[in-house]
Amino acid sequence: MQSQSPVSIGIDNIRIGLKANTWEDAIRQASEPLVGSGAILGGYIDSMINSVKELGPYIVLMPGFALAHAAPSPEVLRTDISVAVFDSPIFFNSDNDPVYVVMCLACKDKASHLERLQHIAYKFLDDAHLVRRIRECKTRDELSALLNE
Amino acid sequence: MKRVPKIQTVCGFGCGSSLMLRMSIEEIAKKHGVEIESFCGDVSTCSANTCDVIFCSVDLSDRVRQHAKVPVVAINRLMDKQEVEEKFLKFIDGFERKGE
Repeated sequence: MQSQSPVSIGIDNIRIGLKANTWEDAIRQASEPLVGSGAILGGYIDSMINSVKELGPYIVLMPGFALAHAAPSPEVLRTDISVAVFDSPIFFNSDNDPVYVVMCLACKDKASHLERLQHIAYKFLDDAHLVRRIRECKTRDELSALLNE
Repeated sequence: MKRVPKIQTVCGFGCGSSLMLRMSIEEIAKKHGVEIESFCGDVSTCSANTCDVIFCSVDLSDRVRQHAKVPVVAINRLMDKQEVEEKFLKFIDGFERKGE
């Protein structure tokens, strides 16, 4: 069932070796490439942050890993995903804290991101140590290979 | 005829973490040869959707339970095969007993 998926996360959307003081700052840093490439407008970042404030830290899906996202919105111009790896621990007030890997999902609608997100879901299901392996990547190329293979 | 359980996974908007959880559940169901129907929902409208059970993050479960008319299963680690498997099989066991 594993699809011959196109690249799930482009290398320009990968950042490593970051530091953040707060989870809000971590989401902002992780989504920066999406703003830079014109995939999202800044308001979408606020929506991602507000959804955690409103609904709680449910976006921390696994120990060490958060998937920031908000509802499909006009502030998303192109469906895309970015990922950021932090050297400093980030606390969302979740049982799965501390977080080191923050992914940002920008979806234009409820369907266009499905295949790429599925690819990432299977990565996690296939490898119980994926977060550790992501953190061990020394370069963006290495992380790109790990996530997109 | 045996009824196929309809499982709704829920997150904030029905497109991110609920999809990840849905993939986990489908993977486990396939492994055990259990036929299921699954779909994603969001916290604000999930209680209006017809289903036999709702799976969601533990951080959303209180909110979902306020309006849900079906059992709500809370998951701590959404792509942890062991946790999802344990909770999925427990639900299936109860579902099949009820159907007997």
